[in-house]
Amino acid sequence: MSKVILEVNDLTTKYITRFHEDVYAVDHVSLKVEEGKSLGIAGESGCGKSTLALSLMGYYFPPLHFTSGEIIIDGQRITGMDPDTVRRTILGTEIAYIPQAAMNALNPTRKIINFIEDVILAHDPKVSRKDIYDLARERFEILGLPEDVLQKYPVELSGGMKQRTVIAVSVILAPKILIADEPSSALDVTSQKMVIKMLLDLMEKGMIKSMIFITHELPLLYNVTDDIMVMYAGQIVEKATAQEAVFDPLHPYSKGLMGSIIVPEKGLRNLKLSAIPGVPPNLKKPPTGCRFAERCKYVIPECKTHPIDLRETGEGRAYRCIFSEEYLRKVYQIG
Amino acid sequence: MKGYKKYFLNKLLWFVITLVAAVILNFILPRLMPGDPVAGIVARLAQGMSSSTGMKAVYEKYAELFGINKPLLTQFFLYVKNIFQGNFGSSFTQYPRPVLDIIKSSIWWTVCLQFPAIIVGWIIGNTLGAIAAYVKKGFDKVILPISILIGNLPAFGVAVILLVIFAVDLKWFPTSGGYGFDLIPTMSWQFVWSVIVHYQLPFWSIVLVAIGGQAIGMRSMSIYELNADYVKYARFMGIKDRKIVGYVFRNAMLPQVTGLALSIGTMVGGALVAEIIFSYPGLGYMLLQGILGQDYPLISAVTLIITLMVLIANFAIELIYGLIDPRIKAAQAE
Repeated sequence: MSKVILEVNDLTTKYITRFHEDVYAVDHVSLKVEEGKSLGIAGESGCGKSTLALSLMGYYFPPLHFTSGEIIIDGQRITGMDPDTVRRTILGTEIAYIPQAAMNALNPTRKIINFIEDVILAHDPKVSRKDIYDLARERFEILGLPEDVLQKYPVELSGGMKQRTVIAVSVILAPKILIADEPSSALDVTSQKMVIKMLLDLMEKGMIKSMIFITHELPLLYNVTDDIMVMYAGQIVEKATAQEAVFDPLHPYSKGLMGSIIVPEKGLRNLKLSAIPGVPPNLKKPPTGCRFAERCKYVIPECKTHPIDLRETGEGRAYRCIFSEEYLRKVYQIG
Repeated sequence: MKGYKKYFLNKLLWFVITLVAAVILNFILPRLMPGDPVAGIVARLAQGMSSSTGMKAVYEKYAELFGINKPLLTQFFLYVKNIFQGNFGSSFTQYPRPVLDIIKSSIWWTVCLQFPAIIVGWIIGNTLGAIAAYVKKGFDKVILPISILIGNLPAFGVAVILLVIFAVDLKWFPTSGGYGFDLIPTMSWQFVWSVIVHYQLPFWSIVLVAIGGQAIGMRSMSIYELNADYVKYARFMGIKDRKIVGYVFRNAMLPQVTGLALSIGTMVGGALVAEIIFSYPGLGYMLLQGILGQDYPLISAVTLIITLMVLIANFAIELIYGLIDPRIKAAQAE
């Protein structure tokens, strides 16, 4: 087994609303990402995947609050560290983040190179401007971005270019792990492809060691990441390799996600398009039983009364359902 | 760059069109006021005179002198011609004093009162607004209601309140004038001190109103910018809060710059209330005197100055904005 870059144990974080209610958007999540591997996190909007991305950074600001659990990056435990230390020594250098709305992620009144200077100087005030410029130019060249982007304002860049610029800026300090929160969702198909190619390039060229890729399109992950985790209502409902999650999903929600998107990939092309009826539960008062029970086709009375644990099936695979693997596979076959 | 140039040529064209329209209105509007300015002057001059033919002669002499017996159109072209020669004519009410002379003596009172007041009000207001947005909680709960209260008080209300409290009741400051009425304008210490004392109440009445409005605007802009996505991203890249606050307030400040430029442009018009209430010898006070005495040349000249300043301020905003905000520059070049 290779080195674990990111290890998360039982992480729980909550939002405190304006009316002082607690909303547990990430509920006892554990995960591991090994060196050279990538993990995809899928789920519909509101399922807690973006909050998980924010929570993984180890740096919290209201309304998000840390509750319990631990985050270990390359052997270093970052939960419980002083926030200023996290900011200076972890953010950007150990773990980096690509926001969901990269369109607005850059300060509109600052040139790209000035922002890169701010990022680097925040971690090491002694670097000279010339060195920063050289580093930025070199990185942009490797990543196939034109050098003149550096001297531009964000408003002068196209959407796809802006997104790729954000990615290049995110990895400027060679972080060990990159968390990409829906980096391609707001883009057209061509730009999406370029962005995903760029992320895979980063891994290949060793600029980052591991990656977490968050998206609402489960099938998209099949080509991008090694492992896939499906989230629902703040909990992990399925953990598997990309192959298994796409072709042999166990949890009814994963199954539903697969069916809700048109996929051009071979072997997936003939799936019938279907929607999962209903909406995710209100996390202010999460249901006691299975959180997916209200929307599940295969629901039985016990689902709603018993809390369901994440069941390990061996080889890192796990799912959160009352039924056995065999039973689920059988009902899926019948359709 | 070509688009940028074209944009400004277009703006310049509109600048000229607006100016022409304003000059025409500045000329016509005072002359549409009911009443006869010469009759008032004659009545003053002819005190004790009993011969009606004598009074008629005086009247006709002045009517001829001021040119108001000519057709309006002729008067207008005469007016325009004179403006181009830098001649605004003689004041009716302070005849034979040239209008230019009146303006020269009063404009500095206005500029020296208004300019520092606007700048001070702008700086204090924006600082308070920014702090309120950043600190939130208690500070915001105090600043916001006070700002809304002061910002919405009419300017004359603030001036009268200050006047009653500090000049009438406490007698700390004089009630009116630019300097003690018993002094002759010289560079003596006594005179300078008198000017400073007379300056305080009109100054703070303008500052207070400006603070309220600016603080409210800056507060909401800052709150908006503090929640922007780039703030979150910058934080996650490990940039220090101090730096990020710098980003936020620079961006929040941009619309406020428009407000600053506009209030500098409308300085003379804006000064009216404070100058009138404190009988401050500035341009606004002169304008009021002109209107009361139907002093056409004086009214036209002062309103022309106001128009020009507003237009120049607007034009300056366009230029400055292109320099400080790349988004606007990009939009201007399109």
